[in-house]
Amino acid sequence: MVGISDDRLELLVVLRAKVCGPHFWWRFPALLKGETLAAAVMIVSSVVLSAFAAITLWWTMHAWRTPETLAATRFAEPDGDHKLTFSLLLPARHEQAVLEHTVDRLLRSTHQGYEIIIIVGHDDPDTAAVAERIALRAPGRILVITDHNEVKNKPRALNTALPYVRGDVVGVFDAEDVVHPELLEHVDHAFRSTHADVVQGGVQLINFQSSWFSLHNCLEYFFWFRSRLHLHANKGFIPLGGNTVFVRTDVLRGANGWDGTCLAEDCDLGVRLSSRGAKVVVAYEASLVTREETPDTIGSLVKQRTRWNQGFLQVLRKGEWRRLPSMRQRVLARYTLVGPFLQAFSGVAIPVGVGVALATSLPIGVALATFVPVVPMLANIVFQTIGLRDFGKQYHLSVTARDYARLILGAFPYALILSVAALRAVWREYTGRRNWELTAHVGAHLQGNATAETTTAGAA
Amino acid sequence: MTTTNDSVTTVVIPKARAARPGTTPSPMPVPIPEPARPREISHAEKALAVGLTAIVLAVIGINISGYPMVNDDEGTYLAQAWAVAHGHGLAHYTYWYDHPPLAWIQLAGLSWLPGLLGSEGSTVATMGRVAMLPVVAAILLLIYLVSRRVGMAVWSSAAALVVFGLSPLTVVMYRGVYLDTFAVVWMLAALALVLSPRRNLWHFTAAGAATAVSLLSKETMLVTLPAVVLALWQHSARSTTRPWAIGGYVSGLTLVGVFYPLYALLRGELFPGEGHVSLVGAWQFQLASRAGSGSIFTDGSIAQGLLNSWLDHDPVILVGGLIATVVCLPVRRLRPPAVAGAILTLIALRPSGHLPVMYVVQLLPFFAIAIAGVLDLAVRLAPARQRWARPAALAALALIAATLVAPRWWTGNARAMHDNYHAEYVAAAQWLRTQVPDPKNTTVVADDVLWLECVDAGYPPEKAIWFYKLDLDPEVAARLPNGWRDVDYLVSTPALRGDSKTLTAVNTMLANSTVAARFGEGVGRIEIRRITKEIP
Repeated sequence: MVGISDDRLELLVVLRAKVCGPHFWWRFPALLKGETLAAAVMIVSSVVLSAFAAITLWWTMHAWRTPETLAATRFAEPDGDHKLTFSLLLPARHEQAVLEHTVDRLLRSTHQGYEIIIIVGHDDPDTAAVAERIALRAPGRILVITDHNEVKNKPRALNTALPYVRGDVVGVFDAEDVVHPELLEHVDHAFRSTHADVVQGGVQLINFQSSWFSLHNCLEYFFWFRSRLHLHANKGFIPLGGNTVFVRTDVLRGANGWDGTCLAEDCDLGVRLSSRGAKVVVAYEASLVTREETPDTIGSLVKQRTRWNQGFLQVLRKGEWRRLPSMRQRVLARYTLVGPFLQAFSGVAIPVGVGVALATSLPIGVALATFVPVVPMLANIVFQTIGLRDFGKQYHLSVTARDYARLILGAFPYALILSVAALRAVWREYTGRRNWELTAHVGAHLQGNATAETTTAGAA
Repeated sequence: MTTTNDSVTTVVIPKARAARPGTTPSPMPVPIPEPARPREISHAEKALAVGLTAIVLAVIGINISGYPMVNDDEGTYLAQAWAVAHGHGLAHYTYWYDHPPLAWIQLAGLSWLPGLLGSEGSTVATMGRVAMLPVVAAILLLIYLVSRRVGMAVWSSAAALVVFGLSPLTVVMYRGVYLDTFAVVWMLAALALVLSPRRNLWHFTAAGAATAVSLLSKETMLVTLPAVVLALWQHSARSTTRPWAIGGYVSGLTLVGVFYPLYALLRGELFPGEGHVSLVGAWQFQLASRAGSGSIFTDGSIAQGLLNSWLDHDPVILVGGLIATVVCLPVRRLRPPAVAGAILTLIALRPSGHLPVMYVVQLLPFFAIAIAGVLDLAVRLAPARQRWARPAALAALALIAATLVAPRWWTGNARAMHDNYHAEYVAAAQWLRTQVPDPKNTTVVADDVLWLECVDAGYPPEKAIWFYKLDLDPEVAARLPNGWRDVDYLVSTPALRGDSKTLTAVNTMLANSTVAARFGEGVGRIEIRRITKEIP
C-alpha cells in the first residue's frame, strides 16, 4: 500500500518538471515516454484511490443500507430481568475534575447487580482522594484500587483490576464518560438474548459546536459507532472501542486481559477475541450511548489520533489477526488496520491530484480520470451532511447553518490533521517512541457543568 | 419501554422500573421495520418477459434497414460514434456541445455488435440500427420491471411491454438511431432503481447515476426527472432511511452529471469566448435562438405536420395514452409514470418552441405504462367475490384489443416489415464505391448518412464533407482554397435539398453541377452530381 504514495510522489516530480519546463511535451518525443508514464501512473493511482474511497464509503454507510439493516443495529428491548452481574472498570488518571460526575451517573444505573472498580495511580494523590471520597458514598459497590506500575497506561491499569473482578461481565468506562442509567439493563439483555461473548455499546462525542474540528471528530464517532462497527461485528473482525465495551469475565481472563504494551489496547483486545472466535455484538441506541468530549485543541487531537494509529500499527505487526479463520476476515483485518493511513493519505492525495490536473495541461482523458476519486469523496461529504442532520435530531441538538459550513469547509483541513497524525504515528513507531500521550479532558460534554476545570495532561 | 410484571418476579435483585428523577427519558419505542417485501421476479415471469421481448425485437428487427427512410440525424449520430470509436474525439467535426456526448459514446461501445462499423457491403441504416436493438430490448424489459414495481399484475405488466413494443409508432421510431432511445433506457432504469423493493441505499445512488447518464445522453430528458424524484419520495416514505436515500440519489445525479461541465471546463470551453465553442454558448443557442416549429394547433405548422405523421402511424397509443395518463394521475402508485407522460404532453402542447421529429420516443414508454395501468385498474374494479368476474373482464379487454387495435397494428407493422425506403441510399453508396476512379483524391459533399459510407469506401475523412459544414464551419471552408470549385461530387439527397435554401455554398453547387447518376424518382430521389468547374 505504501507503493501508492511512491507512485504519487514520482508523478508529482514528473509533473513539476513539466510545469517548470518551457516547452509543451508533445513537441519533444524524448519526453513523451515520461509523459505516458505519468499519465499511466495518474490513472492507476486514480483507480486505486477511487476504489479505496468507494470501499470506505460503502462500509461507512453500512447501517443505512436498507431500513432492515438500520433496525438491526439497535438494542433489543430488555425483558426486565437482571441475571448477569457487572464489574465496571474505571481507570482515572489526573481526572479528578470529571471523575465524580461519572461515578454519580454510574450509581444511578437501573441495574442492580454491578460494582464499580476505580483504578488510580500511586503517583496521583488528587484523583485518589476524590475516588476514596466517592467510595464512601456506596460502600460495597465501589472499590478503589491503586496501580503501582512504574509506567502508567490504561491497559496496565485495567490488568491491575482484573484479579479483583467478581462480576460475570467486565465493563470498561473512561473517567469522563456520561453513562446512561438504563445501559446495563440493555446490555444484560443483549448478552442473554444473543449469547454474545462481547457487547460493544455506542460511544458518542457530543460537543460538536466547541470548534470546527470537534464537529468532524463528533461525526467520525457517529459514523463509526452508528454504522461501521456493526459491519465489523457481522464479518467477525472487530477493533473494539475503548469504553462501553463489555466482555464476559471468563473470556477476558482466558485471553489474559489487555496488552499492557499496546497503545490501542481496545483494538488489540477486539482483534485477539475475534481471532479466537468470540461472538461480538454491537448495539447503538442514541439515548443510551456513552457521551464523551472531543480533545480541546488540535494538538491534543493529533496526539490522541497518533496514539490510536500507532496502536493500529502495533496490532498489525503483532499479527494476531493472521489466526482469523477465513481469508476474507484476514483481508478485512489487514485493510482495517492500515485504513487510517490510507484514509489520511487519500484525503490529501485526491485534492492534490485534482489540483495538478487543473494546473497542468494533461490530456483530457487523464485529467478527467483524476476527478473520479473525488466522486466518492464528495458523496461522503453529502452523506456527512445528512449524518449531521440525523445526529442533531437524535441528540436533540440544534444544528445551524454555521455547522454545515464548518462541515464542508473543514473537510479538507480535517483530512490534513488526520494525515499529520498518521505520519506522526509511523514516525514514532519506527523510531521506537511508544509512550502513552494522554488526552486532557475539560468536561465540555457535561452540559451546564460550571465547575469544569482544565486538568493536567499526562503528556510525554 | 418495558412491561411491568413485578408480581411474578423470581429474581432476587429488584427490578428498576420507572425512570428515576434526573435521568434522561427512555429511548423512543423502536418503530417496527416493515418486513422486506419479497417481490422478486420468478423464473416463469422472467421467461414471459424475455419471450415477449424476443417477439417484439423480431418485429422491430425484420427489415430494420428498409423502413423508415434514414433520417440525416441518424447518420450524424452514427458518424459521431464512428469518431469516438476511431479515436477522433467526440465528433467527426469540431464538437460544439450541441448535445451531451454520452449517447453516441454508448453507441460506439455497441458498434462491435453488427460487426465493425462501416464494414463492407453494409449501410448506415443496417449498422446503426442493429446496434440499437440491445438498447430497445433493455427498454422493453425495464418497462415490464417498472410496471411490476409500481404494483401492476403480471398480465398488465406484460400488456405494457406489448402495447409499447408492438405499436407501429414504436416500431418506426425505435428503429432509428436516436439519442432519445439511450436517454429513455437510462431514465427507465433510474425509475426501476428508485422503486427497488429492498430500498437499498446503493440502488437509490445508482438511480441518481442512471438519471445523470440519461441526461448526458439527451438533455431534454430532464423534463421527466420529476417523475423519478416523485417515485423516490413515495417509495422512501415511512422509511427510517429516507434522508439517506435522497442523499444517495442526489450524490449519484450530481457527481456523475458534473463530469460534463467539467470536461468543458478542462478544455477551456465552459464559457463563451473568442475563437472557440462553449457549453454555455451552446445552451444559449438551444434555449434562445433555435427556430420554433410552431404550435400543433396551428394549421400547416411543422409541429402539426409532425403530430399528424405520428397519428398516422398509431393513434391508439397516443390518444389512449393521453387518456390513461389523466386517469392514472390521481392513483398514487401509478403517478410517477403518469407525471412523466403528462409533462411531456404539456411541453408538446406549448404554443411555440422546437418540436423535434424524435420527441415522441421519450413519450411512448410512459404512455404504454399508463395504458396498461388503466387496464390493471379496470380489472381490479371487477368484483372479486364472483370468481368469473376477473377472467370475464380480461376476456372482454382482449376482445376489444383484438377487434379494434390488432388489425390496425397488423397493417402498420406489416408495412414496416416489408417496405424498402432505403434502396436509393444503398445504390448511391454502391455507385460512390465502384464508379469513382480515384476516391483518395476526390472531394465529395454529401449528407451525414452517406458521409460514413464515403469514408468507408476509401475517401479520406477530410475530403468527404458533410454539406452543412461548408457554410457553417470555418475550419472546413479553409480546407477548400478555391471554394466550391475544389469539390468534385455533390450527392443531392432529400435531407440536403431540404436544407439547401439556407446554405449558400450548397445552393451554388446545385446550380453548377450535372447529374452523373440518379437513383429513385420524385422527392425521395438521390442524385450524384458532378461539379462543373469551368466558369461558363
